[in-house]
Amino acid sequence: MGNCFKRSTTDDISLLRGSDSVREPSSDPVGPPSYQEALSVQSSPPIYHPSPSLTQSATQLSEEEQIRIAKRIGLIQHLPTGKYDGSKKIRECVICMGDFMVGDALRYLPCMHTYHMTCIDGWLMRRLTCPSCIEPVDAALLTSYETN
Amino acid sequence: MSEPQSALLLRKQLAELNKNPVEGFSAGLIDDNDIYRWEVLIIGPPDTLYEGGFFKCHLYFPKEYPLRPPKMKFVTEIWHPNIEKNGDVCISILHEPGDDKFGYEKASERWLPVHTVETILISVISMLADPNDESPANVDAAKEWRESYTEFKRKVARCVRKSQEQEEC
Repeated sequence: MGNCFKRSTTDDISLLRGSDSVREPSSDPVGPPSYQEALSVQSSPPIYHPSPSLTQSATQLSEEEQIRIAKRIGLIQHLPTGKYDGSKKIRECVICMGDFMVGDALRYLPCMHTYHMTCIDGWLMRRLTCPSCIEPVDAALLTSYETN
Repeated sequence: MSEPQSALLLRKQLAELNKNPVEGFSAGLIDDNDIYRWEVLIIGPPDTLYEGGFFKCHLYFPKEYPLRPPKMKFVTEIWHPNIEKNGDVCISILHEPGDDKFGYEKASERWLPVHTVETILISVISMLADPNDESPANVDAAKEWRESYTEFKRKVARCVRKSQEQEEC
């Protein structure tokens, strides 16, 4: 069970979600979710949101909160990612209202909604639901495990 | 230095609302140099007690928008069960999901990052037409709305009249 949340680079994400998922080498900018605030300086500890309205540095969190956040990061990382190649029908990220540009890093949710990875990851760290259809991402992910 | 995503997104919405205004309200900034503070004029929706009124509101966006919701306040005096006496709007889509166990309780009613000035205003205008008395922000207004509707109507009519006088000067 705990395995689901393990941060493993050997996992073949394509087993989870069809063939459209892409696993990039670690040198690629398509890396782990941007759970850090975009503006935070690299030397300072990362910023997390133990609840949607709370903003705390990693050093201020309780152990319980750290575990919860680590689990969430693990879960988000299990969601497939890819790069926009211009061929999909969806052309806009409804979070930033910006058009997808060829090469943009995308994340696909189990409900089939697609967003810029940087836009959706920041939201999923606060709340695990799809902003478009309000499908709980964790439940949908578990269902997709069971059916595979 | 490049602008944060929130400022770009708000600028985009402002440009879009200027180009294609939406019926029922007009939107601008309180201060042209501050994209995070908006001033909106709501036209009292037809066939409601608020018809004919012009209600000025302010919207205060956090830097984390759209991940976090703005706060909204009526500057023009208004009498409504879901608007506090100081003007603060109490509507579920402007509330963050909070720390409930599953994180998605009543998810559809809470804040989502796809909300825009337009969708927020549409919700607020619909709230004017159809108050929600389950969680009133103005308890006195809610009580009147339920128990002494004539008095409620009288107070709303007074606010509408005052809002018209303010717009004229």
